[in-house]
Amino acid sequence: MMPDSVRDKKKPSLGDLTRVRFTNLDKVMYPGVSVTKQEVITYYIRMAPRILPFLHNRPLTLHRYPNGVEGESFYEKDAPAGTPDYVGIYIHPDKNVDREIRYVMCNNLDTLIWLANLAALELHTTLSTSESYDSPDFLLFDIDPEPPLTFDDVIDVSLILREHLENAGIRSFAKTSGKKGLHVVVPLSGGHRFEDIRAFAHTMGKTIARDSPPVVAEFAHSRDPGTIFIDYLQNARGKTMAAPYSLRATPGATVSAPVSWDALRHGIRPEDFNIRTMLSGSEDPWRDIFDTRQTIRR
Amino acid sequence: MKTHGGTSLTPGRQSGDKTASGSPRSRAGKKVAGGQNREPDPATGTPGKKDQPLTVVIPESPSDDPVQKGSAGRPFWSGTITIGLVNVPVRLHTMVRDRSFSFRLLHREDGQPLRYDRVCTKDGRVVPWAETVKGYEVQKGRYVVFEPDELKAVMPESDRKIRIGKFVYYLSLDPTFFETPYILVPDRSEEAYSLLVTALSELGRAAVGTITLRTKEYPVVVHVYQGALVLTTLRHADEVTSPRAFEQLGTLPVPKDSELALAKRIINELSGDFSIADYPDRYQQAVMELVKKKIAGEKIVTEEQPHPEEAKELMQALQETIATLART
Repeated sequence: MMPDSVRDKKKPSLGDLTRVRFTNLDKVMYPGVSVTKQEVITYYIRMAPRILPFLHNRPLTLHRYPNGVEGESFYEKDAPAGTPDYVGIYIHPDKNVDREIRYVMCNNLDTLIWLANLAALELHTTLSTSESYDSPDFLLFDIDPEPPLTFDDVIDVSLILREHLENAGIRSFAKTSGKKGLHVVVPLSGGHRFEDIRAFAHTMGKTIARDSPPVVAEFAHSRDPGTIFIDYLQNARGKTMAAPYSLRATPGATVSAPVSWDALRHGIRPEDFNIRTMLSGSEDPWRDIFDTRQTIRR
Repeated sequence: MKTHGGTSLTPGRQSGDKTASGSPRSRAGKKVAGGQNREPDPATGTPGKKDQPLTVVIPESPSDDPVQKGSAGRPFWSGTITIGLVNVPVRLHTMVRDRSFSFRLLHREDGQPLRYDRVCTKDGRVVPWAETVKGYEVQKGRYVVFEPDELKAVMPESDRKIRIGKFVYYLSLDPTFFETPYILVPDRSEEAYSLLVTALSELGRAAVGTITLRTKEYPVVVHVYQGALVLTTLRHADEVTSPRAFEQLGTLPVPKDSELALAKRIINELSGDFSIADYPDRYQQAVMELVKKKIAGEKIVTEEQPHPEEAKELMQALQETIATLART
């Protein structure tokens, strides 16, 4: 055979694996837990098989933290200057700003890495895809506690909500918001209108609020102490939710983590799901979500 | 040429002491030490006051065409090729230009260029030119001192002649000794020049001899290149290290036949025609690109090579994820 020096294969370099050019990798993003941007990028790379399906063809709102979670941050809807050509763009007029917005869509691994390199720690997606922007394919209940109520009370309410949905023959999926609350998501078949599912979610909230006193269904009461608000208002065109598996800008680098109803019944803590504990190889509590397409009638 | 309106640029003074070390001109003895170089420095541009908009002229980066014409410019030497009693009058033009750029060192605080001074290593005082003398270090800290006249007396005299001693096959020349090529252009007599070009060309020979440029005598070879006579200065024998200086190279093992056959096959597979255009100067291109961006007021984002440890983790994650994504 050939001597080693002649046979020596060229080792693949980073540039062979991704088109993204990295910047400031050792910048600390989460000072409280000493997480650098390199770790953020590594997290998103490892989580890509899980998160990419939830980002596909969804216009993104980026929450960028160029100087880490303790620095200034900003929301970004428009694709920033210098957006590379492997990044998908969805152009949609925005009535609020009276012009077209060029949304970033994350349809490939490189885009996800590029976003992480931009310190877009939080990825927020619409509840509809660019293919049918006016028609949601997810319904979202956003359940948030007001002190002194805690996440444990949120779990109780979510289990009640789940029961109501099951009784109506509707399967739902839960994820931590990564902050104080819980998101309950219902995957929908095509053809729904935002106003219909918003009304459905509102009605559901009102039903639960009637039977369970700490629960409030109206925005006006959402900040009352000792309440739990079931927010239905995000079910609107262009509104967003933190994508499943998205990092959140919390001191502990928490993740908006899909969880099984069994796990919720046993009790969990949102901070247990963070950049260091999420494993892409673990069982996916949401693995059926794309095969579960449901119709909601008012 | 492109003209840009500069904004955040430093209105530095005109460059004074561009140190073009290693360029053919300085090697040929051009005086650079006095700081009297009048060439405008494209990096700092024309002098301007702080509140005035500054116009910066950036030379176009050299074209990718390796056989571009370039500017002929003025000859920097003229004389004759002397072969016995035959003289061929020629002018010498530079053929290679040192495209490498030099940064100017600035005072970070006010952006003004810094000047180098001759400072006495003993008392730290600036020494005027008139008080300097040349010394040759014979052992650490001990110098033999030369007055200018003493050196001038032994300098070779430039007699404006390229003295040809003999003719050799051009391909027999060892390129290791090639230093700097110059283009020879006929001066007055084109007939003599043409005759020499044709004769050398048909015989495949090159002329070998000497030239004195300013203060140094060089061995030279004159050969035909693209229909012109090209003079190349050669390095002196003692300027080149022989591989025989490395003992290890004298005791190399004999390769096995099978290995040799495989090596030859690989070489044959990778064989092709040489084109210098395949090897652009990426650093130079990248820096000129940055200069343009800075003039246009663009923010420069520094790309970095990740630390080996960071790169390793990223690559491992990437390889695993790419494999997983490929399965689904």
